[in-house]
This record gives sequence, C-alpha cells and structure tokens, in this order.
Amino acid sequence: MKSSFGVFVSGLVLACCLAAQPALAQQPKLIIGAVYVGSVNDYGYNRSFHDALTQVARDLPGVKLIEAENVPESGEAESVMEGMIQQGAKLVVPTSFGYSDSARKVAKRHRDVAFEFAGDGDTERNFGVFFGSTQRAMYPMGVAAGKMTKSNKLGFVVGIPIGYALGNVNAFQMGARSVNPNVQTIVVVTGGWSDKAKEAAAANALLDQGCDVVSMHVDSPATIIQAVEGRGAMSIGFQSIEARALAPKGWITGLGFTWAPFFTSVAKSVMAGTFRGEAVYKGLGEMVAVGPFGPSVPADVQALVKKSADEVAKGFNPFTGPLKNNRGGTALPSGATVGADQMGSMNWYVEGVVGRVR
Amino acid sequence: MTTPLLIGLLAGAILSGTSLLYATLGETLAERSGIVNLGLEGILLTGASVGFAVTVITGSAWLGLAAASLAGGLVNALFGWLVVTRKANQLASGLAMMFFGFGASALIGAPYVGAVIAGLPKWRPSWLAGLPWVRSTTLFNYDLLTWLAVPVAILVWWALFRTRWGLGLRAVGESPAAAFAAGRNPAALQYQALCIGGMLGGLAGAHLSLSLTLTWAEYMTAGRGFIAIALVIFSKWDPLRAIAGALLFGGAEALQLQLQARGSAVSPFVLEMSPYLLTLLVLLAWGGARRLAAPASLGRTFYGSN
Repeated sequence: MKSSFGVFVSGLVLACCLAAQPALAQQPKLIIGAVYVGSVNDYGYNRSFHDALTQVARDLPGVKLIEAENVPESGEAESVMEGMIQQGAKLVVPTSFGYSDSARKVAKRHRDVAFEFAGDGDTERNFGVFFGSTQRAMYPMGVAAGKMTKSNKLGFVVGIPIGYALGNVNAFQMGARSVNPNVQTIVVVTGGWSDKAKEAAAANALLDQGCDVVSMHVDSPATIIQAVEGRGAMSIGFQSIEARALAPKGWITGLGFTWAPFFTSVAKSVMAGTFRGEAVYKGLGEMVAVGPFGPSVPADVQALVKKSADEVAKGFNPFTGPLKNNRGGTALPSGATVGADQMGSMNWYVEGVVGRVR
Repeated sequence: MTTPLLIGLLAGAILSGTSLLYATLGETLAERSGIVNLGLEGILLTGASVGFAVTVITGSAWLGLAAASLAGGLVNALFGWLVVTRKANQLASGLAMMFFGFGASALIGAPYVGAVIAGLPKWRPSWLAGLPWVRSTTLFNYDLLTWLAVPVAILVWWALFRTRWGLGLRAVGESPAAAFAAGRNPAALQYQALCIGGMLGGLAGAHLSLSLTLTWAEYMTAGRGFIAIALVIFSKWDPLRAIAGALLFGGAEALQLQLQARGSAVSPFVLEMSPYLLTLLVLLAWGGARRLAAPASLGRTFYGSN
C-alpha cells in the first residue's frame, strides 16, 4: 500500500531533478545520487544522510547532489537508481537496508558507477558497504540518563526488537547503571520503525509508569521527543542530533550520525578514480557523535558523559563479560565480548532492563 | 511512582480512542444512509495532512482543524459523486478513494514533514488535577477534540434517532425506494451523511497529527480507519455504543503499551497483535447478529431517484 504513492512521489522528485538539470553550462565533476526511504525532513535517519551529503556537495567544488525521497524498498528503488545514473551520477548512495537487492542489481549493470550501501553483505569492486555502530556509543547516553533521572526509571521505545536495537538498550542500561546502581530501563516495543501515533502512546505509557527520561530506537525521534517534552519529562535523542530543536527544555543529549567525513573521502576517491568497495563500520568519534547538551544538564554531568564518550571512542567495550541477563542467567561469561559485527545477533537484555526479547 | 494499571489503561484508551471515535461516528453516519465507505483510512490521512499543513502555514491549530474537517468533507463529497450520482460500485470506489487519500495526503504533507507546531491547546480543570494519579498521567489533560468526543457522539445519536432528518436518513439506509416514495430525497440525504461523516473523519485524522503526535508522516494512521470500520459493526451502527467500542479498542492498544511499561511477562509480539485479534474476535462474535442491526440496503446502489 505504501509503495504505490511512494512510487508516485519518487517519480515526481525524479521529474523535478530532470527538469532542474542545467544545460551544459557547467559540467559537475561528480554527481552523487542519494536514495532515501523517508523524508529528509524527518529529524531522524534520513535527515542525517541529507545533512552529510549536502555538506559534501557544498564543501567539495564541482560536486552535485541529486536526491530521491520516499522511495519504497521494492523494485521501484532500482528504476530510481537507474534514472540517477542516466543523469550522470557516478556515486550512488542507497541509504536504507531494504535497498540491498535493488542496489546490487544496478551495480552489476553499471561497473563504472560507485555504490555506497548503508547496510551489510558482500562488497564488490564498485560496491562498498558502511554503517555507524551506535551500540557502544549508547553507553555515555546511559550515563547521562542515569545521572539526570530522579525516579530511577528510564524509558526506551524500540521499533522492532532486532539485535542492533537490543544492543542500544543494553549499552544504555549499562551506562546508566555505572553511575546509578538503582536504575532500570523499561522497554516498550511499538512493532514498527515509523508508527507515529503508537510512538506517542508508548512514550505516554512510559511516563505514566513513572519514567522521567525516555530514549528511543525508531526512524525519527521527533514524535517521542515532543510527546515527552509536552509532559515536562526529559529525552535522549537518536539518529539526528538536530532533533534537539524539538525539546528546548527536556533535551539532555543524543546520538547522531555524522557521515560527512566518510562521504567526503568516498567522493574524493571516486573523482580520483581510486574508489574500491570496502566494508566500513565506524563508531563514536567517526560515524557517530554525541549531541550538544540541553540547558538542564549540570556541568559535572556533562563532564562525566564526555569522559565516558572518550573512553568508548578509545576502544572501551561495555559488552565485555561477565554480564548477567535480565532473567538471572549469564549473558556473557567472564572475558567474552560482543564486537560491533556481532550486534545483529544479540538476543538478550542485560540485568536491569525491564522487557522481554520475544 | 507507578500508576495503577487501570488508571494508565484508561488514560491510554482515551488518548488512542479519541480519533477512533470520531472516525467511527463518521462511518456510522455514512452506513446508516446505506453507503459503505472503505475509503475512511484515506479520509483520516487527508485530515491529518491537511490539518498539519494548514497549521504550519497559518500558525493556528484551530484553522488547521477547520481545514482538516473541510478536506474530509470534500473527499467524501467526491466519493458521494462517484457512488450516489454516478452510481459506481461502493466497495471498488471506496478502495479507489482510499488510495487517492494515500497519494493526496503524501503530496500535500510532503513539504511540511519535520515542521514544528504547537498543536491543539490542552486544558485540565484545576479541581480534577488534584485527584490522585491524575497529575502523573494524561488523564483530563485534553484538547477540545477529546473533551467534545462524547458530546459529539450523543449529538450524532440524537440527530439520527430523534430528528426528522435522522429518520429520513435511516429510511434511506433501510429502503431508498420506500423513502423516495415517502417524499424523501435519497441522494440528498446520502450526500449530507457523507459530507458530515467525512468532516468527522477529517477531525479524527487531525487529532493524530495536531494533538497526539504533533508530526505528519506518510501513512501515519496505520490502519486506524479500518479498525473504525470494524467498530461500526461492533457498535451495531449505534453512536452511543461506539463510545464503548472506541474505548475498548483504544484500550487494547493502551493495554499492550502499559503492560510493557510495567514489565509484564507477556511477549511483546503477542501484545502487538491484541488490537487486531480483538477486531477479529468482534467480527466473529457479532458476525451472526450483523443482519439484525445493519441497514438493510447497506452497500446497494439505488437507481430509482433520477
């Protein structure tokens, strides 16, 4: 159902791109084609890519960006990418996990076009994969939440409980617990990455049950942050740190993706003809950044969060055994660790998390 | 401090149930006049996006609310032109209008995604704020739409069952030929039912974007229009029963979220299904009795009036 009007909108966007293409006046050195699953104004995932690629196009001379929003994760994505290549795109960025098959097909047909796919899987000479690891970076977010809470109850709204989301929740709880031994993190699953009404209801349910700090792993933090702000509670953002504008009072801090340095080097390598598809996974300090602090966060808490973020950036891994799961069993034996590449298969909540995995 | 489950449940049920109730009332009016409108989901989406867009442009949520209501009425007037004037098949036209609503709302809302609005003002009488548990929940802290939801349901009931207009409308739903013979104009009454119903549907959508979420996103209604169609059957085409129905279904959504927020031992996957399971159960339980309550000419095209 969603796809039919997505097709319509993306077609419209493409048509506009075609119409707006300037005559031969100034041939750009590189055209980047970006494909988004949602709107770039979502204060979330899609905006993080839009902001980074816009910055690359602004900072590197001769680089032009064409974008298609609301492109469904179906065969339609394939024709959108083909259209971009026909317009001269030499670097295509499919930003949603569901574009994997379409992007790989198009990349096989156009060996001269570089692809950077936000996801995982095999790489090809012209097909790189990348993503930002947020899980460890959630630890300092937990430190902030653990310090700011008065009720010792933190809320966490999860879209779909995949391993990466569980990892975010676990690191959040471990960080909070490191500064506040009595704290617990209560998880509410909505069942979708972008069901706004349910996200609002979930945030309200968490606040009803006494949580006073809420974080989330959904496509856009906008709805939850605003619902929490409206009730005078505090929030910790995710995906795009620009979302802080939605909560002038209750914003504590948040994680945002910072893709610009990565795309800058990719764009340069494509222009130089040296591009080779690789798997690039970077965490805090590289592809992920801690957002600015809100007005209510005291200086000592800010210092504590920054110190914790520095430790994570330098290699501290909170997913190091011994760790107990929230059902009293052992999640990780002493000395065992979970690396960033194993997050997808995480299937437990750490001690102190209130919630069931399945 | 933990809120008792029942209090949290009630707060959540009212929060989620408000838009369901307006949508159900709108559909009840249409179906009482003999027209099944499967495009309700599209009406909700149109109301949500138009309401949000106008609120962003004018800075006034009240104007947004008015525009959402008008837009809902207009979309249903178009549907009326299809099924009343052009006598097209109601089910097919309804589905077509639903897809039209998907596309139109996406197009209208696209420039305003990510805009920040203040939303409908909320108001809680001070004597209610002092009650236990009220301050820690959303109870009684409502916008105008929520405060008026039950009065509007009573008004719709009164109009349907206590006025001459309502009698005519119901007569058209039972037997347009008989109503026509009695001097009523079936087409005019069906248009009126559809337009007012569409306006209520538009308000239902506006409640989602202007009060509950303060955002617009494509397909943000997520099936609530269809739940409302099931609710019409559940409430036996009675606006007063619709109040209970909306609370029950709003409560089903609230229950899964409140249970999770309280750390229940039930799987979140089972809880997520609960509103839809309830819909199925309702249709099963009430399916047999449907013929007793449904307008006799529901879904049939009346060819006689012109």
